[in-house]
Formats: sequence, structure tokens, C-alpha cells
Amino acid sequence: MLLFRSEEHVDRWCATWRLPKGAVLSLKQGWDLARVWYGEDRRDPAWRRRTLEETEAVFAELGFTSESWNLR
Amino acid sequence: MELDQRVRWVVYDVTMREGAPPLASQLATLLDMPLDDVRASLQRLASARMLVMQEGEILMAGPFSAVPTPFRVTTSEFSCYGNCIWDALGIAAMLQSDVEITTSCGDCGAAMRVAVRGGVVAGDGLMHFALPARQWWQDVVFT
Repeated sequence: MLLFRSEEHVDRWCATWRLPKGAVLSLKQGWDLARVWYGEDRRDPAWRRRTLEETEAVFAELGFTSESWNLR
Repeated sequence: MELDQRVRWVVYDVTMREGAPPLASQLATLLDMPLDDVRASLQRLASARMLVMQEGEILMAGPFSAVPTPFRVTTSEFSCYGNCIWDALGIAAMLQSDVEITTSCGDCGAAMRVAVRGGVVAGDGLMHFALPARQWWQDVVFT
């Protein structure tokens, strides 16, 4: 995941590399996702990766509902 | 604590204190374990998608990178590297620390700075996830 100055720069990067445009998040949205994703202590023996259903719930709670966030 | 949990504990303990994942040989010393056993455990953790390995060493202990990347993160304790802009923010989240992120626009290369202070992110720019979420682990280095 890269950072871009603006949507125009995202579009140009996608065109340059002939890649379809994916999800675009504001820094605030990205920070919200980072806090949920990485906020847990991975040293904790009880820590485990989220299940598919748990991950879907995280995305839904953050309002990430476009096809880019569809895990199935 | 099971073996792989102990290994994971030490991996993240070192990473969170020093800013980069330890070498397998360091882990063997810290855990007082044979190197082959450490490598086997790391491989199991990688198979469970808890780490990313490259040539027998940890490449990524998310959100930290073992190698320099375009996402440099500076805390009050050290400078380190995130695997991507999301992971750079993830380092602030994992450490619960203020950070300064130095990176550049993926398109034009212009320098960009992002800060997290007091749990609030500041800076300009947009994050682009080139791959759909279901494909993130198909090529995690590209992701």
C-alpha cells in the first residue's frame, strides 16, 4: 500500500503500471484500520489472526464495503 | 507456553524494543534453542501468516520490516521501517507511540510526511490498496 499526493496521482500510477484502481483511503481511515489491525499485543500467547468472519466484521465496522474489501 | 508462542513472543519483544525483527541466530541464543528448531518454528509461524520469511530469516514481522523500505518510521526510541504506509501507521498503533513517517508519493516521488501524535494522525495524502483484500496474501511483498 502506497501513499499518494492526490487521487490524480493514484490514477496516473494505476495507468502507468496498468493496474486496476483499488481502494483509496484517507489517512484517517487508514489510521483507524491500523489501530484495529495492529493495536493488539502480538506477544500475548492468546493472540491469533482474525478469522475471515472477524475480518469482515472489522471492515464492515469501518465502513469498508466496496468490492475491494470483499474476502469471498 | 507452547514453543511457537514462545518464539513469537521473543520475535515481537525484540522487534518492539529495537525496531526490527531479530535474526534466527539471535532467537536461538535468546531462547537457548538449536537454530534448526528456531527456523522450523519460524516457518510454522509463516505458514500461519504471522510472519513473512525470506531465505531462512524474518523479512516481515507485521507491521515491521527487517529491511529498509520507502516507509521510514521514527519514534522517540528508534527509527525503523514499515512494510507499506498502512504498516507504518501500524507501528504507531502497535507501540502506542507518537511517530513521524517519512515516505514519498508512489506516483511522482515527492517527499511526504505523516505524523501520529496523541493518537491522532496528521498529514496529507491518500492510501491506495492496489490489490483487493482477498488477494493480499497471494503476493504479500507486492501488497
